[in-house]
Amino acid sequence: MRRVIYVILISVLILGLAKACIRRDIPESAAVRNNIRAEKEITFPADRKNVTVNGIDYLESQAPIGTFGGTFTASTIGEGPKTFNPFNSKDNISTALSEIMYDGLLTTHPVTGQPIPKLAKSFSVSDDGKEYTINLRHGVKWSDGKPITADDVVFTWRDIILAGLGNTSIRDSIIVDGKLPTVHKIDDYTVKFVTPEPFAPFIRMLSSPIAPKHVFEPAVKKGSRYFDTFLSTNTKPQDFVISGAFKIKEYVPAQRVVYERNPNYYMINKNGEKLPYLDKLVYLIVGDLNNEVLKFEAKELDIINLQGSKVARYKAMEPHSDFTIYNLGPNTGTIYLSMNLNNRKNDKGNFYVDPKKQAWFNDVNFRKAVDYAIDRKNIVLNIANGIGEPLFTAESLNSIFLNKNLKPYDKDLNKSRELLKKSGFHLDKQGKLYDKFNNRVEFDLLTNAGNTEREAIGVMIKQDLEDLGMKVNFKPIEFNSLVNKLVNTLDWDMVLMGFTGSPLEPNGGKNVMMSDGTLHVYNMRPEKDKNSPRYDFEKKIDELFIKGALATKFEDRKKYYDEYQKIIYDEKPFIYIYSPTVIVAIRNKFKNVFPTSLGGATYNIEEIYTGE
Amino acid sequence: MDIIKYILKRIIQTIPLLIIVSLISFFIIRLSPVDPLAELRLNPSVSQETLEREAQRLGLDKPVIVQYGKWAKSFIKGDLGITSNGEQVSAKLKERIPNTLLLTVVVIFLTWVCGIPLGILAALKWKTPFDRILTVLTSIGMAIPSFFFAVLLLIFAVRTGWFPVGGLTGANFADMGLFSQIKDIAHHLFLPVVVLFTLSLAGLQRQMRANMLDVLDSDYVKFARAKGLSENQVIYKHALRNAVNPLITLLGFEFAGLLSGAALTEYVFQYPGLGRLILEAVLKSDINLVMASLMMGAIMLVAGNLIADILLIITDPRIRVKS
Repeated sequence: MRRVIYVILISVLILGLAKACIRRDIPESAAVRNNIRAEKEITFPADRKNVTVNGIDYLESQAPIGTFGGTFTASTIGEGPKTFNPFNSKDNISTALSEIMYDGLLTTHPVTGQPIPKLAKSFSVSDDGKEYTINLRHGVKWSDGKPITADDVVFTWRDIILAGLGNTSIRDSIIVDGKLPTVHKIDDYTVKFVTPEPFAPFIRMLSSPIAPKHVFEPAVKKGSRYFDTFLSTNTKPQDFVISGAFKIKEYVPAQRVVYERNPNYYMINKNGEKLPYLDKLVYLIVGDLNNEVLKFEAKELDIINLQGSKVARYKAMEPHSDFTIYNLGPNTGTIYLSMNLNNRKNDKGNFYVDPKKQAWFNDVNFRKAVDYAIDRKNIVLNIANGIGEPLFTAESLNSIFLNKNLKPYDKDLNKSRELLKKSGFHLDKQGKLYDKFNNRVEFDLLTNAGNTEREAIGVMIKQDLEDLGMKVNFKPIEFNSLVNKLVNTLDWDMVLMGFTGSPLEPNGGKNVMMSDGTLHVYNMRPEKDKNSPRYDFEKKIDELFIKGALATKFEDRKKYYDEYQKIIYDEKPFIYIYSPTVIVAIRNKFKNVFPTSLGGATYNIEEIYTGE
Repeated sequence: MDIIKYILKRIIQTIPLLIIVSLISFFIIRLSPVDPLAELRLNPSVSQETLEREAQRLGLDKPVIVQYGKWAKSFIKGDLGITSNGEQVSAKLKERIPNTLLLTVVVIFLTWVCGIPLGILAALKWKTPFDRILTVLTSIGMAIPSFFFAVLLLIFAVRTGWFPVGGLTGANFADMGLFSQIKDIAHHLFLPVVVLFTLSLAGLQRQMRANMLDVLDSDYVKFARAKGLSENQVIYKHALRNAVNPLITLLGFEFAGLLSGAALTEYVFQYPGLGRLILEAVLKSDINLVMASLMMGAIMLVAGNLIADILLIITDPRIRVKS
């Protein structure tokens, strides 16, 4: 008997403790959702200006004047940086964390997306689009006091980037017909780049970091094997010589990276005081999204990127808490549905795709019917919690090349049925769909297992398509197996995947869009099929991408890329579903926060200050 | 002399064991469909040449058996190779081992210091309220999954703000004095230690209690009591020495768990230890790192058992007589 009492007593105690942990942090009645989309009105400061004081060409911030001091704590998810050498980084986190320290010649205007000078004082492009002249700032110094000159720029480009050291993605992307651009020193503060052909995407590459020659040269001379380990995560902080606003102070593996302000930085405020305002910038390395949320709520973080499912709660918390939520608009991520348009045979002489399915997938009416059957709005509402935008174009919604004439449309089953009928599909008495040879329309829809978002979208698409009488076998499979199917074995029917693109440069997607690209998902051509016949629309897209890269004027390029988006919109090799919206929460104590879709929330970290 | 012979024999016996462990783990990792380059392959800006170069660098272009041979050769030489990011595996492990050791040593120390006396006490006060309460508490301790308990404590930390949410050191750790540094670490260690401590204390206390009860019931204890020895002498001289023997084997396992026992808790608390490193390595199929940690685990287990056996020979005369 006594034992029973003990057990009850202790269970009550435990339950009480557990209950204490559960506290409602938002009032139950809070109406959310509808006002999340409303954009905050942000008044952006004027563009930064060049100002010369005592022979030194400073960059003058036009943002309101702030107070010095304070720490800003952000986070990165995952294992943390692999290297602090911006020329070696192969992952986003290493790139972001190392580029904090090394400024590029140019940067991107956070609102318009056009290239603007940063470490360079000014730049110009010749009329034929082949020559880029860069004027450097006089009197600007590295963090160790040595001047930043044309030698550093020429060295960085000729001996590191063009020589193919470290990560070669920049070099790979600027090869035109097997030829590389050249770089020439005109005088100590002028550099000229010459591309073999007019090649518009090149200008974006000028925002890649510039290395201090006196530090990097010895490492470069020791060869590429040594360079791969140069400025690794084990390098002492004092060995870094940098040009950016913040310099590394401490790296604690799996915990954080701490940066301190660079006193030699070349940006000043309107009072002529040297920026940045903040003393310290800290990036906590957190293992997963949940931990990030906990850290933000425990006030260990000052900024957080919110997932769709969290936004509603945060929005309700916002009025009585110390942070503000910013809606940065749709991001560059695109979630799409694609059918396998491959009509060739593999090494063993079998078709990659069953010929009867080929007939469906290669029929544009079939693809359009699928497209019209998908309820994008419903997907956004239910899966992204309303934090996303339906997507119909190949370029992401925040791209400066977005073709705005391609109008969104709603689910329209009647239109789908009409299209299917036109191609000879018919329904039997039970409402099952058959093609004109009386084959049951049945195929597999794949996505990567573990991505709960895509799994949920897949289920919804399956239901939408079953309204048309199709039989869809939705199979989430392991990510690596899926990649293997998409890239090597090519034996798949329909796939639900995502890409991240660039909002600034459509040419970055050429591996996906061009017919011989390494990621031409809907019609992959392995080595042996490189010269196989192209569909007409593939040929047109190839042509447009080549023209688009060679054209120099934005307006001309826009025309070509508009047309390619139109072709994808009409032919539907990719059926785009939606783009997630970026929602960021930042603590109110930080001022001069002007988040934009293209720049993110901390592109102007030099100007951000704590108002306490 | 016999002992040295015995140890040598045991060490030689472990060699084939280690080879088998390494073979099995290597092949399982390599033959699983995890493609270390999958992420790169789906990145539109990565060129074919880069992919090929990466495959070459990681040795993926060769047959599995050749890869194994290469790995084994350098492992014997003491070279653990490089991770898929090109960092030295040994350096990577060295970064994390002290953190994990700190956590596990604190936990093991606390568990043994509390668990053994509590076990003895519970046995002596058999069927009293004290014993019953302890039994209930340890049942709860054993029943709560460590993962769940860790998450609960994390929520507790967030809501109350009394403890930091994960990690080992605070953001301005480098600028602190020695005393505040120690305080900072203790503050961060508290919650993970509580989780691991609750879990292992329960097991140890129960084991000790059961052993002690067994021994107290045996003939020689009855005899000792009958002989008129004081209760203290009976318990601490005769009973305890016999009751502790099975725990020495347990200590061997604790030794094996020094580096790998806390992985789950480490992960939840974002503790910068080996657990997190290895989990991430497994997910990426970072072969050298995973192999190094598996081999380390195997060696620690073998070594732990060996140590336990040697300790047993020392404490238990019966085994000495047999051998």
